[in-house]
Amino acid sequence: MSELERSLLRRLRDRDERAFRELIQEHRDRVFNITFRMLGNRAEAEDVAQEVFIAVFKTIDDFREESKFSTWLYRVAVNHCKNRIKYLARRPALDRSREEMDETTHGTGVNGTIGAPLPSSPQKALESKQMEKLMQEAIANLEEDQRIVVVLRDVEDLSIEEICEITGLPDGTVKSRLHRARLVLRKRLQRHIEDRHE
Amino acid sequence: MSEAAEDDIDDEVVAKVSDYLDGLLKGTERNDVAKKIESDPVWKQTHADMVENRKFMSGMQKAHAPPTFTEDVTGTINKRSKGRFFARKTLGDRVPFNALLIVAIIAMAAVGYLMWSSQTGSLKVEKKPAPPPPAPPPVR
Repeated sequence: MSELERSLLRRLRDRDERAFRELIQEHRDRVFNITFRMLGNRAEAEDVAQEVFIAVFKTIDDFREESKFSTWLYRVAVNHCKNRIKYLARRPALDRSREEMDETTHGTGVNGTIGAPLPSSPQKALESKQMEKLMQEAIANLEEDQRIVVVLRDVEDLSIEEICEITGLPDGTVKSRLHRARLVLRKRLQRHIEDRHE
Repeated sequence: MSEAAEDDIDDEVVAKVSDYLDGLLKGTERNDVAKKIESDPVWKQTHADMVENRKFMSGMQKAHAPPTFTEDVTGTINKRSKGRFFARKTLGDRVPFNALLIVAIIAMAAVGYLMWSSQTGSLKVEKKPAPPPPAPPPVR
């Protein structure tokens, strides 16, 4: 852990509001990315991302500095997502519908749901948006265990080692789960693309 | 699509090929895996699938938190804790330390001047009067 990170931690433990703000600024996009990809719904993702930071602030004294702070933070994020998925599964009335998914994956305005620059031509932009939407749906339909490793690896670009620390899974399990998840995604999306072209 | 059925996947092969593609294997181990990929159909297929999968996943776009996210979180914390969560700021975050320093220096200079100029001031160095000349010897 760097001296800068230690100093930030000290300030966090002293309940320094500025330190909390710095922490949020630094990690908000990555935490939001995890929650959004895990939950597939912008409103839920925002809510859970907020709860993640609040939980981190409340339990900062429990962080024993045995791992990187970011690893601990992402573990908290993943656990919150798992809990929310369970909670939402018990609430069938709450329609996490396709319309909402459309809204979230098509937002490219100030709030910039999707951060990558749009392709130059409108046709390409449309295709890119549709592809992104399909990808988001496909990820949301993965089994939870597979979704977690795909999000951490392919969305967050974390190393296998970090994913093992976050999930508590052995190295081999993470790799095979990731491979299976990617195969499923590729298969589903290619099938979808082929169907559209027929 | 040519990938093997999910059930046919050999986890050990996947782990090795994954490390190979991530550049984590060195020396003979790397060469061994490279040879197996060339000669063994299972390894070859796994390698081809993994390369294709990685290409497929490489275009994942990033989502961004809303711009007001930081304020939303701190606002929620303040609301729930009724303002007691963050350390109480007696002087606040915006203490103008530079201005305070200048004021302190001016105040110290003023006090010093007053003490120096005062009749009873302890900084006033009073010149001691010259000792009186020795009295002349008495004339008899």
